[in-house]
Amino acid sequence: MEFKKRVSRITAFVNRNVSRDILDPLKEVGVIDLHLAAARSPVIEEKKGIFALLPGRDLVDDPMDIISFLVDQKTGDHVLSLIIEKGQLNLPGRGSVYSEEINLVMAHELCQENKPAPFATEKTPSQKLTGICCIVQRGQGDSVARVVLDAGICVPSLNFGVGTGVRDKIGLLRITIPAEKEVINIATSPYDAEVIMEMMIEVGKLDQPGKGFIYLYPLKKGIINMKVTRGEQRHVASIEQIVAAIDHIKGGIEWRRRLGTVEKKGVKRRAYLTGLADLTLLCDEGTGTNLVSVAMSAGAAGATISRLKHVRPPDSPLSEVSPAREACSMIVSDNQVDGILKALKEAGAFTDSCHGQVQLRRVPKAFTYLVK
Amino acid sequence: MAQQAAGKIKVGFSHALSLLGHYIKNRVMTQVKSVWLIIIYLILFQTVILGIRITDASIIAIGIGLVVAGLTFFMEGLFLGLMPLGELVGVKLPQKSTLPVILGFALVLGFLATLAEPAIQVLQAAGRAVKPWEAPLLFLLLTKYSHILVYSVGAGVGIAIAFGMMRFHYNWPLKPFIYILVGVLVALTIWAFFNQNMHTITGLAWDCGAVTTGPVTVPLILALGIGICRMVGSAESGTMGFGVVTLASLFPILTVLLLGAFLLGSVPQPMNETDFFKKKNRKAAEALFNNKDKMVHYVFSNASFESQVAYFDGSKEKMVEYLEVLSKNESKRRAVFGDDPAALKRWAISQGTEEQRYSVFGSLEAVTRYSTSVKKAINIPDLLARNTIAAVKAIGLLALPIFLVLFILLREKLPRSDEILLGLFFTILGMGIFSIGIELGLNKLGNQVGNMLPSSFKTIQLLEEKTNIINFDPDLVESAISSDGKKQNFFYAKIGNDYVPIPYDEKSFDPATKQYQCTPTKGPLFGSEGSFWGIAVVLLFAFIMGYGATLAEPALNALGLTVEEITVGTFKKSLLMQAVAIGVGFGIAMGVAKIVWNIPLLWLLCPPYLLLLFITKLSTEEFVNIGWDSAGVTTGPITVPLVLAMGLAIGSQVGVVEGFGILATASVCPILSVLAVGLRINWKRKAALTEAVQTAKEESLVDGI
Repeated sequence: MEFKKRVSRITAFVNRNVSRDILDPLKEVGVIDLHLAAARSPVIEEKKGIFALLPGRDLVDDPMDIISFLVDQKTGDHVLSLIIEKGQLNLPGRGSVYSEEINLVMAHELCQENKPAPFATEKTPSQKLTGICCIVQRGQGDSVARVVLDAGICVPSLNFGVGTGVRDKIGLLRITIPAEKEVINIATSPYDAEVIMEMMIEVGKLDQPGKGFIYLYPLKKGIINMKVTRGEQRHVASIEQIVAAIDHIKGGIEWRRRLGTVEKKGVKRRAYLTGLADLTLLCDEGTGTNLVSVAMSAGAAGATISRLKHVRPPDSPLSEVSPAREACSMIVSDNQVDGILKALKEAGAFTDSCHGQVQLRRVPKAFTYLVK
Repeated sequence: MAQQAAGKIKVGFSHALSLLGHYIKNRVMTQVKSVWLIIIYLILFQTVILGIRITDASIIAIGIGLVVAGLTFFMEGLFLGLMPLGELVGVKLPQKSTLPVILGFALVLGFLATLAEPAIQVLQAAGRAVKPWEAPLLFLLLTKYSHILVYSVGAGVGIAIAFGMMRFHYNWPLKPFIYILVGVLVALTIWAFFNQNMHTITGLAWDCGAVTTGPVTVPLILALGIGICRMVGSAESGTMGFGVVTLASLFPILTVLLLGAFLLGSVPQPMNETDFFKKKNRKAAEALFNNKDKMVHYVFSNASFESQVAYFDGSKEKMVEYLEVLSKNESKRRAVFGDDPAALKRWAISQGTEEQRYSVFGSLEAVTRYSTSVKKAINIPDLLARNTIAAVKAIGLLALPIFLVLFILLREKLPRSDEILLGLFFTILGMGIFSIGIELGLNKLGNQVGNMLPSSFKTIQLLEEKTNIINFDPDLVESAISSDGKKQNFFYAKIGNDYVPIPYDEKSFDPATKQYQCTPTKGPLFGSEGSFWGIAVVLLFAFIMGYGATLAEPALNALGLTVEEITVGTFKKSLLMQAVAIGVGFGIAMGVAKIVWNIPLLWLLCPPYLLLLFITKLSTEEFVNIGWDSAGVTTGPITVPLVLAMGLAIGSQVGVVEGFGILATASVCPILSVLAVGLRINWKRKAALTEAVQTAKEESLVDGI
């Protein structure tokens, strides 16, 4: 079935112990089609005693669940508030959640957005946010996450993915190029997003070939987990408490806008990519690789495939959809979208064999190594 | 975005070479990092602490190189071929077949996996030192009924995998299985403790459980479990696909103990040596051997002179007559001593008494001529053939049912078939090279160190260096005086290129044949005979050896990588490896203590397992699965030969009935260490979460919000 409609996509990054508190209320209000991904959230933990002498190695990982689903735009805000309320996400260290507007361009008839009945909730947060997604090679994620934690921006979420692209075209030699990737997701205020993107590019050396990819995407609103450290409090108040108090007084976050970093000597102006879109194809386990190669022949450069679990009530028609799913995220230019959609449809992505669903979000700014 | 050409890209030769070079270097370095500790440690211990030169050093060096190369191929092949294959089947199986079919597949797979892996043969090698009169049931299970032992272990593993699949299907937690199984096993072990015959096989039974699930079975079972769990598990299943290896390590113990109980009626009770060979016990004793001739062979190769005479109804003449017949009648000799024509003569020289030698050779001159010990050369074609066949058998027996199920039952095409087939080829190649390397390098090294190890607390006789010196002239003997005034006789012998003084013992000189039987001795190195410090050195050696060998185990590496992948990096592989390695180190030291001080195995197994049950109750499902699985995975192709060499050497020096049990203790302690680590991590996480909620509650009370 095809159509293009704007829906709300809500993504919650919560500690695994908290996710149970959220999933049940969601089911009760009528959100029955969810995707769950496993991730981890690193925080900085002060080392005590002799371990304090050892350099680094003070990142502690917590298991985290990424809960994502589509809702119609009317009830998006209400569901967001419900999640914040039930998960107590206004408290530091519990998790983050945000909503964004995306295009649901094409999907199997079973894979539509949730349409819960409207219900009453408390006030929704009004903080505007921008999301940053950075894809690097497996093992490099911690160093990029560190820079985000050290700057006190937010608690990043890291999950694993597999990259496809040039690698698949060189025959058996592809085993010499590692395909495992780490995907880092953070959200921050729109004022700071570009500065932080620059920091991540520098630390991850993304201007070198094969090191990775980074892009921004606009979000609507949400709440971010800012508790980047864990351990004993050294002062009367922790920095997060002070920031939260001043946010409350000032009624917003513009006051903590970062001034642009002083230009370092010899820093080149980066050539950012603009006018792109993130085309995410959700499909059944095992079908992603084929569909991605179909998309690549229609112009996509490659994709990052991550594994998801499909959560639905046990006796609903959604049980036809495979519980093991894949999300193939491709960054493409606007004019390629139609061609790719057509190719996917012809390959049967939206039939019962794949139960595909394509989401489209704007990517105003991206960066990677480009062949000169 | 830059447009890519659809279809293949041609990669230049030099570019391809650089890609390959980088890739190979990366993989080899990973394996070197896991193996260097145990190798360097063994070499240093032997040369520096025991002070013995390493014989065949160049062969050992080649062997070690082969181990690294083999491990590289093997691990790469696992992740390229075998595990993706297993996961594919695991994902497709619940979609396209019913539960009974899945269970049947699991039973067959478990059974074949046990037949494929060579671990049981290693235990049989350990059993060569067992005496049939001291431990009849154990001897029976290790020799005549060894194939039945393998089948019972196979049945145990098959049942375990079937239960594992059922567990995923019905989303049962692992904890109840552990409580019930461990409870039953501990109860059975306690009962067996009080039965003379069953007592001897408890060590074997627990070691069988520890030794199953080798480096090929474990990754396959893991991948299968993970695949099935993705399709079948609920949103919050803590199992994530682990837990089957645990069951595959506990069920075989049960089946072996039950087998022992079943055979209890058909074996004699333990008795002393000479009684065993008397005619009145003949029928009972023969039940332990394949046939009469094999028993005769055993009598001559392993029993003392008195027992040999007792076998022939106390008549020396009958025995001598029998030997003469053997040396002349070829078919009879073959039946008793096997196909090797020199076997009878070799036995006569090395173990026979004067009269026996005379009856075999027929004359004194013949004996005199045949005097030097035979040095075994390495038979390269045999080595290659044996190990290649073993590798093909190991992986073929497992890959075959997988392929059959995939193509016939599930009717699925193989995605990325070139990678998977390459991966399987790598696995077979890697396993073959790795086995050869272990035989040539690690086993030789381990045997040398292990055999010399008791010298740290005891005087040991270096029996392999026993030589018969011909044309010995008593005039060569000189005298020296010791500090307490006793006269010591010695003589100089040229061994190799060195002139070595050897203590002279009149009893070892045979004036009739003019031969001197020379057996050098060594030790004790630390303190006096049986001193505490000597034993402490042995225990410390055992700990570090267990630690180092565990870090090199391929199956544990595979588990660690899989755990890190499934938990998305929250449980790092290095943390798991370190926790398990330290646990295994303690366990092996504990097992060696059992042999040295003859502590009953019951005391070393039951308390830790009961403690484990308690800690399991406190831990989360996630850590319980990973912790118990990691114990089932340790004790693989690197640890087992080293541990057995050490255990046998110490056991034979100390004089225990059987040297089993070290592997079992080595499997208990890692569970404790991993669960302890898990408890601490979980406690800190919970504390961090509830801290926020607590402060919020307090704040709202204060602010009145």
